[in-house]
Parts: sequence; structure tokens; C-alpha cells
Amino acid sequence: MSERANLDTGASWTHPLYATLEKLPGVSLGLASVDDLLAWGLTNSLWVFPMATSCCGIELMAAAASRIDLDRMGTIVRGTPRQCDVMVVAGTITVKMAPRVLKLWEQMPEPKWCIAMGSCAISGDFYRNLYSVIPGIDTVIPVDVYIPGCPPNPEALMHGLLRLQEKVHARRRGEKVDRDPNPDLIRVTQPAIPRVCERDLGRNDELSKLQADQAGRVTEEQMCPAVDVPFEPPPPATPVFAPDFEGLLRELGVAVAADGPPLVPVERHFEFARRLKELGYRQLVSIVATHWLAGTGRAGKEEGASEHLEVAYVLRTVGPGSRLATWAVRVAPDQPIPSLVPLYAGADWQEREQFDLVGARFAGHPDLRRLMMAENYPGHPLRRDFPIDAHCAPWR
Amino acid sequence: MNVVLTAVVTCVAILTGILTATAWLIWFERKFSGRMQSRLGPTMVGPSGLAQPVADLVKLLQKEDVVPEAADRALFDLAPKLAALCALGAAAVVPFSATVVGAKIDLGVLFLLAIGAVTVMPVFMAGWASNNKFALLGGMRALAQSISYEVPLVLSAMVPVILAGSMDVSKIVEAQTRDGWYLIDPVWLGLPAFGLFLLAMLAESNRIPFDIPEAESELVAGVTTEYGGMKFALFYLGEYVHTLVASAVASALFLGGWDGPFAPGLHWMVAKTVGLFVFVYWMRWSLLRFRSDQLMRICWYWLVPLAVALLLGAGAWVVL
Repeated sequence: MSERANLDTGASWTHPLYATLEKLPGVSLGLASVDDLLAWGLTNSLWVFPMATSCCGIELMAAAASRIDLDRMGTIVRGTPRQCDVMVVAGTITVKMAPRVLKLWEQMPEPKWCIAMGSCAISGDFYRNLYSVIPGIDTVIPVDVYIPGCPPNPEALMHGLLRLQEKVHARRRGEKVDRDPNPDLIRVTQPAIPRVCERDLGRNDELSKLQADQAGRVTEEQMCPAVDVPFEPPPPATPVFAPDFEGLLRELGVAVAADGPPLVPVERHFEFARRLKELGYRQLVSIVATHWLAGTGRAGKEEGASEHLEVAYVLRTVGPGSRLATWAVRVAPDQPIPSLVPLYAGADWQEREQFDLVGARFAGHPDLRRLMMAENYPGHPLRRDFPIDAHCAPWR
Repeated sequence: MNVVLTAVVTCVAILTGILTATAWLIWFERKFSGRMQSRLGPTMVGPSGLAQPVADLVKLLQKEDVVPEAADRALFDLAPKLAALCALGAAAVVPFSATVVGAKIDLGVLFLLAIGAVTVMPVFMAGWASNNKFALLGGMRALAQSISYEVPLVLSAMVPVILAGSMDVSKIVEAQTRDGWYLIDPVWLGLPAFGLFLLAMLAESNRIPFDIPEAESELVAGVTTEYGGMKFALFYLGEYVHTLVASAVASALFLGGWDGPFAPGLHWMVAKTVGLFVFVYWMRWSLLRFRSDQLMRICWYWLVPLAVALLLGAGAWVVL
């Protein structure tokens, strides 16, 4: 048991046979050269698994393409984790994604390393406190090299890979890995051709003179010649039909609200939607649910209002002269709302989303599961009583 | 004893030569593809990155051997070995010069075609044993593709056999030394048959534009999805050796094998083989991938009728 513990911490436990062997003359020297050879192989053939979820992934692609060319150092990108040595986590990792990343990490055969590329992978950056984002990939898998940047440029990625090579070599030699950057490698991040940026213009007299010269030689007319384009106003669109939304409201006895969409009683909600569809509103644009605490409502403060959800619907007629129809339903947080899936197939995922994020319950929905958050996510993050620093994941 | 010794030495020499050549050809391909994409390819490991294949090998040797829990263990282990073995086995009857040949057998061409056909077995085996849907899809595609393209491959390989009147590869090369290369003599027969053989060969060795069993953009890594470390290396090796041997066969059947002026036969054979191999690279890094149904249509609507016509033409040429 204690041996096991030693193994896990990487403390100086050696196999007894190995210890005996090492005492023989010349063996340690031989082993050291074998170790060097093995480390040379490992470091010069770092195949990358691209765990690219956002913009850092584009930089990763650029690093593999011409100009930077990771293949120079023997690094190629493979699609399957089984053939990869380095997982480059390039991008924001969400709570839902994290278990998948962990699974892919576990699929990779040892020895393996992880590079956290960009501020999102390092710490979550400004999504850090968001309900759906994990604060850094090192809360899930061990990270060997951090590459700062938002996103880091391809040169920085190459720098990170070179740092990883050093680390692997040092580990093989049993050295402690130096945390300070190698000054020789810093120049990798400084391009050979200096970039001209605005703050340089003032200092670089020659360049600013050149620019001023050119600006002087070009007249305003040359810079912006007038173009005469005849303009014909398009013919006014004639609506195919103008559905009588107000008439329907009047017929069903729904009051027009001054401060938002008209509130339809939840019992008449489905009938209302059906009538609208008959009138020609054939496209469901969106369903938006909002959670209001006791004493608040759509107008801000509402005296005497109990805690409720307001679910707003937007419909649209299809074709020229398109019209919108919108209404809202006000329910208690756990009160079911009739689902619109029988009328509009598009309501399926919209209702799932609102169920997931706000917790609106849609009666008669064929498959009311979470859509965006992880399957085991506690609670509904867009409710107003959802704590902002919720321990919603084991790693937070 | 002397005979056995000669055979062993020849075999070892050929195997070593092929394996070494494959390693550096992989390096060459990476440089070549780099140049085609205005990159440099490997430069940092050894001079001009020449040590890159060695580093890759040393790394792959150290990787953990992962076998999926639900995989068919025996088949999973067997498939990569068989893949490398099949590819290397085909090299046995290829005459690299008048004297350097592993085994002189009368039915050399038949042996080559048979081994080429068996090569799909380990691929499908890997796809099935991995218990992975991408691997299985890749395996199914490989099977369908190989069986289809076997037909034009065999029929076009029959053209030089008919012209030379022998199935011994060495005899075919000798006949070409006597009568002229079959690529240009007769050109109306040899050129299309050579093109057909090359196309079918690309398809058999799962090369772009026929690499739908691997199709990394849709199938992760196809049949090798679950393979890492040395097992993957064996697959990789098998694929390259297969292409290399197929290039050697094509140059023996159509380009006159070791026949050529000024230089020893072995040099000519190696030059022709490597030339064809580079052509295959060129295809690989220039072309797109066919869809599965397009692949089948090309084979059965165009290549097979053409191959049959060429076969009849060859018969008529010999008889008349």
C-alpha cells in the first residue's frame, strides 16, 4: 500500500532489481544514454490531438499550415486519441464538454501530455464565473504547459511545444522542471520581421514621413471618387394577407398590454396558438422564458406579485409583407404550460432550451430533456435565485 | 546448403532494403507534401529532418498498448501483423534484377494478385475487431472497394501475361527486354492497361483519391481508429510497403523491370519503382477523395468494361 502511494507521487521509488543493476559499473551510464535516446524519440515526434473548441483552434490550424509548419519539428495532427501524444486544449471548455474531454484524455495511451492553449483553457478567462464554463482545463486533467494569449499566435504554440520538449527531457533525466522560461526560447515569440503598429508610427520618423508624403499626394477625389448610381426605389411590398391579430385578441377577450406582449391565460394558450396558425402565422420564431421573483415582474417592481415565469412566444407569417405575432403566458414556476410541439415542430428544441435554462415545464412535450447543460447539472442557471458562484460541478 | 544460404541472404537483403526504403520514403513524402503546400516538412530532427522516421519509431515503441475492453482481442492483435506480413509477402516474387529475386515461381503474377487480394482481410479484421463504429465502417468500405477493384486489377495484369505468354514475372520482364516495354509496345494496348493497373493499384492500397476506408474527415481514422503505438506503426508500414511493392510490380509488368541502358538492372528497377511511388504521392497530395458510390460507378461502368476490352485486344494481338 505504501509503495503504491510512493508510485503515485512520483517519489524516489525504484524497483529493487533496477537499484541492484544500477550499482554495476557502466550500467548507469548505459541507462542514461538509453534514457536520452527514448526522450529524443518522445520529444521529436509529438503528435497532437486537437481538442479545439474555439478561436484558439484556428491558430492551431495556422500553426500546422505553411509559414509556421509544426511538421518541421515532427509534430503532426492526428484525428484519433489513440495515436496522439499531446492533447492541445484550444478553447473554452464547458461543463457539458468537460467529461467528454476527460474521456478523450483517458483514451490516449501513455506517455501523454496536455497543453492548455489560450486563456480560456488556462483559467476560463472572462467566462470563468459563467454557469456553464469550467475555470480552466487543469481542474479536469493535468496540464504540462500553459500557453497564454487570447488566442496565442502560432509562434507561441510552437514555443509551448518546445517548452514541452524541454520538460520531457528534464523528467527523463530526473531533474526538476524549471518554471522560468528559457531566455533562448523567448525569441520564438518575437517575429523576425517587426510588425508596425500604431504606437510605432510616432517614433519611426521615416515611416510617418513616408505616410504623410503619400497622404499629401493623393487628393480627396482620388481617395474617394464620387460614383453616380441611379437609385430606383423598390416597389412597395404588398402583403399576401394581413392576419387580423387584434381581432383575434378581441374575440378571445385578451387585453392588449401597454408594457409588453398581451398576456394570454394559460388555459387558452394552446387554442390561441392554433387560431394564429390558422390565420397564417406558420413559423415559430422563438420562445423566451423569464423568471421573476416575488415582488417583481415585467415592469420591474410589481407590488404583490408572486414568483412566476413569463414565457413569451413570437410567431411569423412566411412570405413577403411578413407579420409578427407575440404573446406571453404567465405561470407559477412549477405550473405546466401546454406544449406547442403538436402545432409547430420547431417548438421542440426551443421548449427544451427553456426547460433547461429557466425550468419552464411544458405539458405534452414528447421529449423534455436538457438541451444545453450537462445531463447532471443541478438546477436551472437562468433562474434569478440561481447562485452566481454555484458549486454546480465537482471541480468548482 | 549454398542454395539455402543464398535464399536467406537474398530474403534478408530484400526485406531490409524494403523496410529501410519505406522509412525514408515516409520522410520523403513528408518533405514532398510540405513542398506542395509551401511548407518545409521535417527539418529539426537530424539533417533536413532525416532522422524523423527513427524518432517516430522510437516514440511509437514506447507508447502504451491500448486494447478496447469490448474488442475481439485475438483478432485485434493479429490484424496489424497480418497487414504488414501480407504487404511484405508480395515482395517475394518481385524481380529486382535478373538475379535479385526472393522466389522464382512460375505463377508469380497469380501469387501477387492473390496476396494483393488477401491484403483486405487484415483491414476488415481490424475494423471488425475494434468494436468501433468508425473502424467498422472503414472496414466495410475497404472490403467493398477492394473486391470491386480486384476485377480491373486482375484483368489489366493479364494483358502483359498474355503478351509474354508466361505468368513468371521474371519471364515477363525478359520478354520486354526482347520485344520492348509493354507500356509503349503495343502502345494502344499497353498504355491503357498500365493506367488501369495504376488506378486499381491506388484503390487496392487505399490511396487518395480512393482512400475512403481511412477518410479522416468523416471516419476519424477509419480502420486504425482504435490502434496506437506499434500496432498503428505496423498498419502504416503495411500500407506503404503495399504501395511500394505494387509500384515495383507495375514497373516489372509494364515498364520493363530491370531493363535499361548504361546502369545495372537493380538501379533501373529501383528508379522505376520509386518514380511510380512518387507519382502515387503526387496523386495523394493533389486530388480529392471520391465518394463511395462514385467509386463503385467508376469501377463497374468504366474500368471493368475497358479492362475486358483490353484483354480481348491482347488476345487478338497475340493470335493475329
